[in-house]
Amino acid sequence: MLTLSVYRHLLLLYPESHRDRFGEEMVSVFGEMQAEATGMGTGAQIGFYARETAGLMVGALREHWRSLGGGSIGLLFPRRRVTMHSAFRFPKATAVLMTIILAGVMVAIKQGEAIVASVPHVSQPVGTIHPVHSVLLGGIVQGIVFFYAAGMIGWAILFAMRRSGVHRLAETSGAPK
Amino acid sequence: MGSLWLNMAWYDMSSEATMEFFPLTEPVLLILLSLAGQPRHGYSILKDVEQMSDGRVVLSTGTLYGALRRLLDEDWIERIEEQDSSRGRQAYRLTTRGRRNLQVEVGRMKQLTRLASLRIAGKQA
Repeated sequence: MLTLSVYRHLLLLYPESHRDRFGEEMVSVFGEMQAEATGMGTGAQIGFYARETAGLMVGALREHWRSLGGGSIGLLFPRRRVTMHSAFRFPKATAVLMTIILAGVMVAIKQGEAIVASVPHVSQPVGTIHPVHSVLLGGIVQGIVFFYAAGMIGWAILFAMRRSGVHRLAETSGAPK
Repeated sequence: MGSLWLNMAWYDMSSEATMEFFPLTEPVLLILLSLAGQPRHGYSILKDVEQMSDGRVVLSTGTLYGALRRLLDEDWIERIEEQDSSRGRQAYRLTTRGRRNLQVEVGRMKQLTRLASLRIAGKQA
């Protein structure tokens, strides 16, 4: 269970500035809530601890995002109205994240090249490749024929009931009865 | 019809700097309403929000202090130093700006509910 000690450790997920400002208060409030939850049933206690853990995780993520210059995530205050702004600019954190991702991709490519160069070429000659009859094409054709036939049967039933698209169009474009 | 446009004009003329926050989310609205009556500390806000929403909105400490941090930064609320601060308790209260913005939001909601009532009743507004 989420004891005060564990809660204090989870608070380390928050940026230091947030911990300094609200850390002791959060621990104090959590302690009061935990004392209240102790008298509840097992289900309510599980709900309480799950809510607190999730709240801490999401809150820490949100505060880190904000401290990176990404602004407040719209969970508490909604985002601005959904309109196109010509003056829209990506947050500063986006450029940093994109640079990090690009660097990661570059490193991965270099590592891949190094691995390929280090492995000796041991593949045996393949020899002549003979064409093999594939059953895939036949299966695709059979599937198309099946669905086409099913569609035709369905359309025929609707046509017989005068509920097909042709009849509906005629009813729509026809003169009022 | 006339009062509708009058109210909308009043709403549009409110502080431009704060318009980006409207409409407020339910947790923030309930936190502000909780502080509208009297200053409260964190635990008291949590319980009051739960009570006001009939148990529908139950905030975690992470969510509460994320909202309080933002409201403090925007100068909608302020901290009060309590005499008994040994337990890490801090009380919060609405600032003048916070109260004014809360009134704007409540006015917006009133207008919306009035319009909704007219539409549901089948009258044109």
